[in-house]
Amino acid sequence: METMVAMAPAVSTALKADQRAGKYLTFQLGNEEFAIQVLRVREIMGIQEITAVPQTPDYVKGVINLRGKVIPVVDLRLKFGLQELEYTPRTCIIVVQIESDAGKLMIGVIVDAVSEVLTLQAADIEDTPDFGSGVATPYLLGMAKLKGKVKILLDINMVLSSQELQVLPSF
Amino acid sequence: MSSESELKSTAAADNPLAHDPELLNDFILESREHLTSIELQLLTLDQDPTNAEAIHSIFRGFHTIKGMAGFLDLDAVREVAHEVETVLDLARNARLVVTSAVIDRILESKDYLNRWMSALETMLATGQAPGMPDPGELLALIRDLATEASASARAMDLARPEGSTPDDAPNAPANIPENAAALPDQPEAATRDLAELARELASSSEEPARDPAPPAVAENAESGKGGEAHGMAARSIKVDTGKLDYLVDMVGEMVIAQSLVRHDPDLVAGLKPRLGRNLSQLTRITDEVQRIAMSMRMIPVGQLFQKTARLVRDLSRKAGKHVDLELTGEDTELDRNIVEDLADPLMHMVRNAIDHGIETPEERERAAKSRTARVTLKAGHQAGHIVIQVSDDGRGLDAEKILRKAREKNLISDDAPLTESEIFNLIFQPGFSTADKITDISGRGVGMDVVRKHIQKLRGRVDILSKPGQGTTFVLKLPLTLAIIDGLVVAVGNSRYIVPVFAVREMLKPAEDAISTIHGREEMAMVRGTLLPLVRLHQRFHVTPRFEKPWESLLIVSESGSKQFCLMVDELIGKQEVVIKSLGEGLRNIAGVAGGAILGDGRVGLILDLEGLFGASHGA
Repeated sequence: METMVAMAPAVSTALKADQRAGKYLTFQLGNEEFAIQVLRVREIMGIQEITAVPQTPDYVKGVINLRGKVIPVVDLRLKFGLQELEYTPRTCIIVVQIESDAGKLMIGVIVDAVSEVLTLQAADIEDTPDFGSGVATPYLLGMAKLKGKVKILLDINMVLSSQELQVLPSF
Repeated sequence: MSSESELKSTAAADNPLAHDPELLNDFILESREHLTSIELQLLTLDQDPTNAEAIHSIFRGFHTIKGMAGFLDLDAVREVAHEVETVLDLARNARLVVTSAVIDRILESKDYLNRWMSALETMLATGQAPGMPDPGELLALIRDLATEASASARAMDLARPEGSTPDDAPNAPANIPENAAALPDQPEAATRDLAELARELASSSEEPARDPAPPAVAENAESGKGGEAHGMAARSIKVDTGKLDYLVDMVGEMVIAQSLVRHDPDLVAGLKPRLGRNLSQLTRITDEVQRIAMSMRMIPVGQLFQKTARLVRDLSRKAGKHVDLELTGEDTELDRNIVEDLADPLMHMVRNAIDHGIETPEERERAAKSRTARVTLKAGHQAGHIVIQVSDDGRGLDAEKILRKAREKNLISDDAPLTESEIFNLIFQPGFSTADKITDISGRGVGMDVVRKHIQKLRGRVDILSKPGQGTTFVLKLPLTLAIIDGLVVAVGNSRYIVPVFAVREMLKPAEDAISTIHGREEMAMVRGTLLPLVRLHQRFHVTPRFEKPWESLLIVSESGSKQFCLMVDELIGKQEVVIKSLGEGLRNIAGVAGGAILGDGRVGLILDLEGLFGASHGA
């Protein structure tokens, strides 16, 4: 567990930050460090063979067998418009449970590497800075600065809402 | 069984039983069962009005419902059941002749109670009390029956010497004035009951601690259900179908996992006799468990057939036709999920047979047929499938007229040579069914596309046999279960796909000269003298194949609807039974993919939906 570095409390966002405080799983994607709420995470597994599914957006890599259940897998690099990377032994699939209109569903998320589990206090969390118009950040919960490094808090539910998975007509 | 006095003693305001959702649910389930058997017995009674056993059975059904409704303060339900009981009581004491009118009335009452059950269900689900139809009119109608009967009975009694009056005779007439007095309140009472109940339910679920007597509830529920229910409980229990489906799924996985272990190369290499024996034993057990699990979900198709009995009766009366319904093979068992989805198409086919297939009695006489027509439902096994036939002995399909109509509607080109069965299949075309004229002239058009869609969804097929003047038969061929399919595992490049065996006609490696192209784009393969369109799976799914040339690859001659086409894949890997799984919510409607399955090595294989695959390749 990380030792917490006290931050100057942001009074205006204290209430909102309170709800965001809790345990987070952090992972790497390119040079950035992201974090998702541990409550959403069902399990973490190494990369395995993925069955491609036709007529899906490129970031939907396909489906895998999760102990007898078939679940879709999304490559977060492609989802965020980063360059596709060869999978390495450090590549992981984080299985998360999200809530959609159709109820709870499990989705695998491919990330470069999983780092650690952190407990974030309200004081550690800041709102996402305003990037100006044109930059949509609906799935960013906020930022956390720990040991001088910034971690981006993701609302994984928003990232993987079922509309985003929906099939693109390709023929 | 509950007695009259017990019913009266339950005070509506503070009856804890009426507020228990679980009890209500049980009541609905049990009543539904009784109502179904009541309908069945009524139809028997319709054929044979003197069948005492049927009358007794109907009486028992209504009596049980009345008793349970009394405990739950469902006054309208109790009232209706009570009145019907009165009529039936007269009937079983031979004081009332069971006419069609009587049966109609009782059927109406049964329908009314069914509507109540639906309303209660809605209320349980939503907490809102839906408006209920008013039982007053129905009650009055039933009472009329009883009054008439008892009036004539009294006349008969007067004629008899005094003292020979049966003991229970005063009961029936005595009930009438008492209930008649309650009549004006009735319509309001019905809706008020429900609204109140909804409120009580809502409040009791919020504050369960306030419930004064939970133990009493359980106790009373037991006694309320009575002896019959107890006897049943010993032999069968009710299980949530969701759990059952999950069990069947998991057993499927277990069978696959078991075969994985058994064929593990490391294990096979060092296999000792004792381990081999034990593994065989495990295989036998898993097979048996699978068989049992599957059978738990099987129900006899008879229940489905019997539902049509009511439809046949109502429709034939309305149309002024005489129709006998004959059922055979009712014991044939089918997966519950299939039976549920089969109800609609079956209704459509029976309705079509009576509306359009069967002639009026006069017409039949002129055609030298018996005035009473016959509709037959037949079920049986055939080569690992269930075959259900719906036949009538009506006028049959008129191929000429169908052909003419199809040409008018531009469903086929003018000179296309069609076989008879292809012509009959035209009535399944969606455009065809809306054509008013054809339904007037030759019949068979209404909703037939719905029938085929349903059957195809169940991975079955439907064929038509018909002879002019002799009748029409619809032949449905269905898989035994929806959970597992026989699949051919095929490879394209590095990917593996599963082709459902039921849609495969044959497989072949074509000769080079059997392949031709149209405009250099559309490819065709000559198979047994017929040109069939060629669909390259790798193009549809954007994967890299090992073979680009059709004569190096494998062609699977597949069937989609009534059309055939060739699906081009690299090679056949094997045949395997697979458990069908959904790909998940986000990936539900992918054209050409019916679902996924876990293959022998633990990877996921996509199950192809040939209909969608072919449709997609020709739709755009």
